[in-house]
Amino acid sequence: MAFCLVLPLMLRGDSPASPPNPQPAIRIPSYVAWTEQTITLASHGDAFRGLLISRRCSHCHGSEGFSGEPFIPNLAGVDRLSLWKQLEDFRSGKRSSRAMQPIAASLSMQDSADVAAYYSMLPTSPDPQDNRAFPQAVTNSSGSEIGLRLISRGDGRRGIPPCQSCHGPVGYVKGAPALGNQNGRYLLSQLKAFSDGSRANDINMPMRSIARQLTDEEKSALAECYGEGLGPAASSPGTR
Amino acid sequence: MTSQMIWRKTEFVLSILLVGCAILATRFYLVDVPVWHFVAGGTGLDPATLHLAGEFVESNLGTALESDHSFTVRMIAQQYVFVPQCIVVPVGVPVRFRITSADSVHNLGFSGTTYNLKAMPGVVDQASFSFPQAGDFPLPCHEFCGPGHYTMRAELKVVSRAQFSSLRPGERRTCESN
Repeated sequence: MAFCLVLPLMLRGDSPASPPNPQPAIRIPSYVAWTEQTITLASHGDAFRGLLISRRCSHCHGSEGFSGEPFIPNLAGVDRLSLWKQLEDFRSGKRSSRAMQPIAASLSMQDSADVAAYYSMLPTSPDPQDNRAFPQAVTNSSGSEIGLRLISRGDGRRGIPPCQSCHGPVGYVKGAPALGNQNGRYLLSQLKAFSDGSRANDINMPMRSIARQLTDEEKSALAECYGEGLGPAASSPGTR
Repeated sequence: MTSQMIWRKTEFVLSILLVGCAILATRFYLVDVPVWHFVAGGTGLDPATLHLAGEFVESNLGTALESDHSFTVRMIAQQYVFVPQCIVVPVGVPVRFRITSADSVHNLGFSGTTYNLKAMPGVVDQASFSFPQAGDFPLPCHEFCGPGHYTMRAELKVVSRAQFSSLRPGERRTCESN
């Protein structure tokens, strides 16, 4: 019995030290780190304050969070953590955009959390009782076979995980937004930016690794699938 | 059938259920992580801040030539990709692998060999392997880590030693930069 108790102590090795070596210049993808503190800050925004701040966003992103332009992302129903992270990355310059960087620079961390709280609460599909207009919310599932296969099964031979294992509805990873109601052309431009490295703000490079392996045909198929909407099941984020 | 036999059978079924539940709970609540963390000598590495500072920042990942002319490969395992996803190592030379995880427990398995490395959050797992044959080998994840687990795999390219002659100590190499 005593031996059983002592065994872990005997097995316990010294922490292996890294051999001394000059490190290349550090490249940091994003200053956001999902620590308890950050998660608390990003997920406790005040949606009403967010509504007031979002007046500035509605010119491009639409008053209901659905953008009229296909290359501008829809924000309705995107989870708080991903919205907050993107605003922070725009602010720190880790994600570049001529339109978004000055706007994000004018927001404080708390403002970003409030805006994120507001947009995450917006509905993603029309309710029969509701008479508001949802310009981009299409919910017919007629995506191409290539796109649907990548979304639901991925490609094990090339190490491409299924999109839905991080972007929902099967699994969620912090910072990965639900894509069910996203604009196709915006998605395509982001996939291209990840693959050529012009967007490099994904923590530990999951999206850069995946997008680099996708062919142009697969990227367009994915954008088309998500852009057409995968139905209400795929567009409801699990964590808000 | 005597009551003693019935009791024995019930006992047997119950113990199997108990062991089954224990296994499921281990995987679901990751209760083995703190134990492994203790056994491996926790490094105080925070899996949430790997990309900000320390050994596993993205510019330090890949194959490095150390000052003592040994090779080290640094990798991060995360849901559901290994980073870098494709690594190059020289043939016939011991290569030190250092791997950690950014989220759950993963396991880097070297297909065709008996080598594997457990990647755990907060712990650096290290081992030296050598590869006698040149070629491309898949490195699948051998530990169930979530719904994308079955597609999680990296690739290993074993190439001749001469291809590393231009590698400088401050440089890192992956398949892309090769």
